[in-house]
Amino acid sequence: MGKLNSTLRRLLEWVDARFPLSALWRRHFSEYYVPRNLNFWYIFGALALLMLVLQVVTGIFLAMHYKPDASINASGVPVAFASVEVIMRDVPWGWLIRYLHSTGASVFFVVVYLHVFCSLLYGSYRKPRELVWLLGVLIFMCLMAVAFSGYVLSWGQMSYWGAQVIMNLFSTIPVVGPDLAIWLRGDSVVGDATLGRCFAMHVIAVPLVLIGLVMLHVVALRQVGANNPDGVEFRKMKDGNTGIPFHPYYTVKLILGLALFLLPFSAIVFFMPEFGGYFLEYNNFIPADPLHMPEFVAPMWYFSPFYSILRAVTPDFVIVPGLAVTVFFFWVIAISRSSIKFFAALLWLLAMLGFYFIDAGFWGSVAMVGSVLVWGGLPWLDHSPVRSIRYKGFYAKLALAFFVASFLVLGYLGMQPPTCLLTLISQAGTVVYFAFFLLMPVYTRMDKCKTEPERQVA
Amino acid sequence: MSRLLIVLAFIPLVAFAGGGVALLDKAPDKSADMGALQNGARLYVDYCLGCHSVSHLRYGRLRDIGLSEAQIIGNSQSPGGKQREPMHSADARLSVGSVAPDLSLITRARSSELGSGADWLYTYLRSFYRDENRPTGWNNSVVENTGMPHVLWELQGELVMDDNQGLKLVKPGRPKPEEYDTIVSDLTAFLSYAAEPAASDRKWWGYVVLVGLSVFLVLAYALKREFWKDIH
Amino acid sequence: MCSDNKVVFGRRRLVIATTVAGGVGVIAGAVPFVASMLPSGRAMANTAPVEADIGLLTPGRMMTVEWHGKPVWIVYRTREMLDSLAGLNDRLADPYSKRRQSEFAAPADIRPETRSIRPELLVVIGLCPHLGCSPISVFSKGAASGIDPGWQGGFLCACHGSTFDLAGRVFKNKLASDNLPIPPHVYLSDTRILIGENGKRA
Repeated sequence: MGKLNSTLRRLLEWVDARFPLSALWRRHFSEYYVPRNLNFWYIFGALALLMLVLQVVTGIFLAMHYKPDASINASGVPVAFASVEVIMRDVPWGWLIRYLHSTGASVFFVVVYLHVFCSLLYGSYRKPRELVWLLGVLIFMCLMAVAFSGYVLSWGQMSYWGAQVIMNLFSTIPVVGPDLAIWLRGDSVVGDATLGRCFAMHVIAVPLVLIGLVMLHVVALRQVGANNPDGVEFRKMKDGNTGIPFHPYYTVKLILGLALFLLPFSAIVFFMPEFGGYFLEYNNFIPADPLHMPEFVAPMWYFSPFYSILRAVTPDFVIVPGLAVTVFFFWVIAISRSSIKFFAALLWLLAMLGFYFIDAGFWGSVAMVGSVLVWGGLPWLDHSPVRSIRYKGFYAKLALAFFVASFLVLGYLGMQPPTCLLTLISQAGTVVYFAFFLLMPVYTRMDKCKTEPERQVA
Repeated sequence: MSRLLIVLAFIPLVAFAGGGVALLDKAPDKSADMGALQNGARLYVDYCLGCHSVSHLRYGRLRDIGLSEAQIIGNSQSPGGKQREPMHSADARLSVGSVAPDLSLITRARSSELGSGADWLYTYLRSFYRDENRPTGWNNSVVENTGMPHVLWELQGELVMDDNQGLKLVKPGRPKPEEYDTIVSDLTAFLSYAAEPAASDRKWWGYVVLVGLSVFLVLAYALKREFWKDIH
Repeated sequence: MCSDNKVVFGRRRLVIATTVAGGVGVIAGAVPFVASMLPSGRAMANTAPVEADIGLLTPGRMMTVEWHGKPVWIVYRTREMLDSLAGLNDRLADPYSKRRQSEFAAPADIRPETRSIRPELLVVIGLCPHLGCSPISVFSKGAASGIDPGWQGGFLCACHGSTFDLAGRVFKNKLASDNLPIPPHVYLSDTRILIGENGKRA
């Protein structure tokens, strides 16, 4: 035993002389000091990384058998669809790899939403972590792209018609829209050309970008250090370092978190992989049929809130963003120099003309894209003197509660067929959603906050 | 504020207002009953395969539900070849007009909030009724104006629709109504199997994995508590 | 009493136990992925048997049929070709085909002298057992063949020089150490061979 130990030690010394292995270990694990009060909300970042690894590994093994070909085979079934069924039936353990990947996709979004919520709660987007946050927003957008392109690949009815609808969104852009849509699709309708490029995007292009962004995200985080539930920078403590080394304390906590997560995750994979039709949609078990659309087409549940916002911008509703833009520009004009005033007024006029002449459908797309982009503004919209929700005032807490409610309600509504009443509710939800962000400079300044502690409490 | 949240929580219920829903009968779960699955396979070949292919299923797969090679191959000159063939229909276009869909995944595709796809199929096959206005002479209360004729009419007999949108039996078939129900549930069980042959494997391994993970969880929790004693 | 030591040992045991449990989990988790790369049911389906019609095959000629992605040669050997077979035994590595085929079972009713069911019809897989190249047929005899003066006809693998006689048997001192494999096959009639399945014993 002693001989093995000393051999290993000598091997380590050999490597250390040529590569900073022990130094890296110390800097990032055994001597990396982290707040001691990180609670269960902090597991979701690590779980998100785990999900990324899982999706890549299962994806690689699926790609060995999957065929991105929309043409019809001898049995009258599109080749791509049939190849998925081959994976489910003929490939040894193929069914497990498929279910891991499909469940993993939905669970990835659950984990990411909870990870983002943790940041909202404790103000982890505030200075000096703005870049971590912005990288996160980019990661989320890549995640949406990878999820959308991946869903097309199974080439079921929802894959096809979902792709059709989303691609047609681009054609609502004035002037360039229709040509842009053709360029994106590779054809005038969604078909084999679209399937091929979705495959390329999903399997290699977006994952490469995702992995790069995640690395930058982690590096940026390590540079400034993790936030904590009290929102108080522990590194600046007057009484020295109150952090604890990441290893072994947070490595064992991570292992526990992993075990706790894997139990419900496995329960879903093995016992309810369809998850009521939310993780594997029922209509997607029917091969894509360009001639017959299913009764109700909606994107996957994780896009639902944004889809709700898209549908909420009806011609009648356009007046609301019109008013909001007007208020904004009036404020800009009021506080700016005369040279800027002129440009602001001009922009305002252009915006009004746009709202008047361009279809509501386009503004719905703008609102949808905007509803993701607006997250990026958070570090500069939050003017609260404190970081964490624990010490913020009543208005901030109310606003956050409203925001969460609107997100959930919009999510639910996005999966229902649009009726008059439901559209009205989703319009209200859209207003609340955007108000959370756009009114934040106002209500965070109005708030009466508690005093932050001088060091983390617990 | 919490009151507001409670009120907001009730808004989704509005969605349930309006829209009539047809109820589905629950299909008995015969996924572990090899006899039922074999009977269902035989029924499928006799009554359905003429129009409906199950192309994602190969003949050889039927060994998994206990059918012998002899039963699967029949008189084929090339037994190995037949085993590897997908179960194609004779001619899907027949006399029905539209192409009869492939049924490999029907019980997964027809699931909804009303019930599982198996429930749908079980109810569908027992809901045909006489309707002289239809080209086939049959209609169905689950799928209005369905293009499919009542292939199993000799077994079920004839139902007609009464004034309350209910169905009543006017001419009984050869087997009794409960026997017909068994026939249909066997057929449904076979198609449920065909939609996901790995289902029973999946559940078995699910138990194994959950047990293993529980053991790991106990160890992981003990480990965490042990180390975090230093901190608290 | 060293309570500190006890704590350390308890901790170490727990670490080892958890590591072992985790390791078992990781290995168990890797098994499905590795196994998924084994031939799938669909790959097995590619071994569907193929029918060869030899009605137009004349003595001295050869035809090729594809089965399981491989070339299957059917050679209609003349009387002369068959007579030359016995004399070659001492130049062959495995004249009586004692070495078993690795991939699939040849029919049970193969006659060892001619390596065929019907004496005149040779049915072999046209891939060199060395590394899988496909040999060329050289039916001309003697020096004209370009191989050696004693050449009675057979096959030459151009990749690494292995040679086979007209019964597919490999010559001594060649890089290939096995005879050309015989695929499962059965005669459906005088002119139809089903390649890919062996017949049941009569």
